[in-house]
Amino acid sequence: MVAFDADYYDGKTSRRHPVRAHAEDGNLRLAGPALSLAVPIAQVIADPPMAGTRRILRLPGGASLQTDDDMAVTSLWRGANPIQGWVHRLERRWMFAAAALVVVAVFSWWCVVFGLPLAAQSVAGFVPAALERKLGDQVMSTLDQSHCAASALSAGRQEELYKAFGVLTSASGHGGGYTYRLQLRACRAFGPNAFALPGGTIVLTDEMAKLAQNDAQIQAVLAHEIGHVHHRHGLRMALQAGGLAALFATLAGDAASITSLAVALPTALLQSSYSRDFEDEADAHAFEHLKAHGLSTKHFADIMARMEAFRSRETGSEKSSGKSATGLDRVLDYLSSHPATARRIERALANQ
Amino acid sequence: MSLADKHRPDRNPGDPVAAAAFAESYLAYETLTDRVRRAEYDRGLLESTAIPSDGVVRRYPIQFSASAGEYFRIWIVNLALTVLTLGIYSAWAKVRKKRYFYGHTKIDGVGFEYRAAPMGILKGRLIAFAALAAYAVSGEISSWLEAAFVIGFVFALPWFLVRSLAFNAYNSTYRNVCFQFRGKYSDALKLVLVGGFLLIVTLGLAFPYVRARFARFAASGHQYGTAQFELPSLARAFYAIYGRWLGMVLVLILVPALFGVLAGVSSKAGWPSGMMLAVGIVAGSIVVYAYIVLWLGYLKSRTTNLVWNHLAIGQTQPRMPASSPGHGAHAVPDARVRFESRLRARELAQLYLVNAAAIVVTLGLAIPWAVVRSARYRIQSLSLLVAGDLDEIAAAEASSVGATGDEVGELAGFDFGF
Repeated sequence: MVAFDADYYDGKTSRRHPVRAHAEDGNLRLAGPALSLAVPIAQVIADPPMAGTRRILRLPGGASLQTDDDMAVTSLWRGANPIQGWVHRLERRWMFAAAALVVVAVFSWWCVVFGLPLAAQSVAGFVPAALERKLGDQVMSTLDQSHCAASALSAGRQEELYKAFGVLTSASGHGGGYTYRLQLRACRAFGPNAFALPGGTIVLTDEMAKLAQNDAQIQAVLAHEIGHVHHRHGLRMALQAGGLAALFATLAGDAASITSLAVALPTALLQSSYSRDFEDEADAHAFEHLKAHGLSTKHFADIMARMEAFRSRETGSEKSSGKSATGLDRVLDYLSSHPATARRIERALANQ
Repeated sequence: MSLADKHRPDRNPGDPVAAAAFAESYLAYETLTDRVRRAEYDRGLLESTAIPSDGVVRRYPIQFSASAGEYFRIWIVNLALTVLTLGIYSAWAKVRKKRYFYGHTKIDGVGFEYRAAPMGILKGRLIAFAALAAYAVSGEISSWLEAAFVIGFVFALPWFLVRSLAFNAYNSTYRNVCFQFRGKYSDALKLVLVGGFLLIVTLGLAFPYVRARFARFAASGHQYGTAQFELPSLARAFYAIYGRWLGMVLVLILVPALFGVLAGVSSKAGWPSGMMLAVGIVAGSIVVYAYIVLWLGYLKSRTTNLVWNHLAIGQTQPRMPASSPGHGAHAVPDARVRFESRLRARELAQLYLVNAAAIVVTLGLAIPWAVVRSARYRIQSLSLLVAGDLDEIAAAEASSVGATGDEVGELAGFDFGF
């Protein structure tokens, strides 16, 4: 016979009745100062155990018992709550906690390095190209409203640029189902630049057209942007960023309000790391693309070098005291979304 | 020794006269020292909610017995199971964590219970996730569809709010009597529409008013058994708090701005500017973060204290003489409960800062410790003042509530301060 002390609550009032519970002949008999009743043990449900709290037994009709005698409850209701009972046993030992920590750490690392990029790639494969186009058009109209104006290049020069672009996109094999369109814009805020929008629109700034020494260099830049479109980098980046946010929200969970600031930094770091991977992928695509069209990757190296020179001229003229900021520069390089230019030039020359 | 000290229940165990005298002198003391309450007392507002002096008044501090080590193991094991099941287990994880915190929150030695079924929470999460995904995709397809979603969201939000409050209340029990939330969707919708309109028209100046209305809606809709929660209108008091907060913000912004100007002047005088810049950025961001935490601590502590200290249970149904028949079969609840919350702005800010630092330094491993620590501080700052007996609160009829509202509310991160 198993017996234990408990508090009985009838579920109708908040009154506490201290009772002594006896289990015999398949019944649970409760006896207290103002109470005496018997309930079939089979009709009593034992709530799952939880560290440091009382065990709770549900009686038919909404009444309940609370007791500190975990042993008695465990012996009488063996096998109740298979899932939570098992989890409770894991929660009780430091050894299992350590194992869980390893699981979480390994899983998070795998997710960031392999899982998320892979998942983003396969999900991006299901997104129809028409939807991507729509997204790209939205971005373009936003840019036109805020940062960019119509190109100020002469009509003849524009014609030449469209032609150079047409050479790149005419041959089959590198389109990937996209209709590529070149948009020439004057965007002072972006300087010499080119960017790919989801769905096949590629924007080239007037400043970039002026920086290049010849059309082959512009084609090298455009081939890089075609690589971004072809590999759906815009969409994949958005998906990966969303995945990262979800992962960190799960990990930080409980303390989201405390840690939002602390989580922002690693998220930004990981995103730039993703971005650098995409740049490398677009570079590799550009090298193949250029070679397929009989163009030398040397042009890619040349325009990279010119952009780097332009950038250091720009920042050099802005900085009032150049020498003390080198430490900061190094940190900014690490945070940068693009790989180091020297390495990109090296690769372009090695890929000739 | 003050009057309240002389009658403190721990100095006079089992002496109902002393307990009643304590409660009375304590309330008098609090009313006189709290400017907001004094103003209300002068206007005759407090009279209706003060604890009657004819009954026995007991003071119950709310205890919290969780330990950081225990919770660390629960946290990490459930997190591991969540990631291994790609999130499906998260509903079970939530139930286990809530059960741990509820069970360790005790009044008079009796813990609370959280009874939600994980399956209901899982279903709610799936619905919430599907709705969010549909919204995200709709924006890509057409702006009209997105606009329709936004309008639909405005009407759905109050429903989710009411559902999540009801779900949480229904699954919370104390002494085997559950809480309930009886707030109406129509009232919540009115709050969202009117509140949103006021916020836009006044450029945010109506925020304390809207916040007070929300607090009142959320609090007054609750019942413990048949006992009704009641919160008076606190708009004025909310304005006082937010006004002082705004003053603090202005002062704290102006002072460092002045320092910045001074630093700018001295750096022109020939200090190494690169180094200065780096040091200035680091020091500046630490100072700014500390300021923000201080403001948060001030706002959170004052608004929380305000709401708890004006909350009462068992006030709506007036005490009827025993001789009046025909007012329903159930007994009129005799218990009257008030709360006393004593959060301090500086202590709360310090708590936030130490927690954030510990979490960053340990790469997140201190999260369970920080969570337990915050919960302990908040819970142990709270006491109950009970006129009558905790044994005497009757249970109400129960109704089942789905989890969808709760989960959508949680996913979107709504926190109305309760």
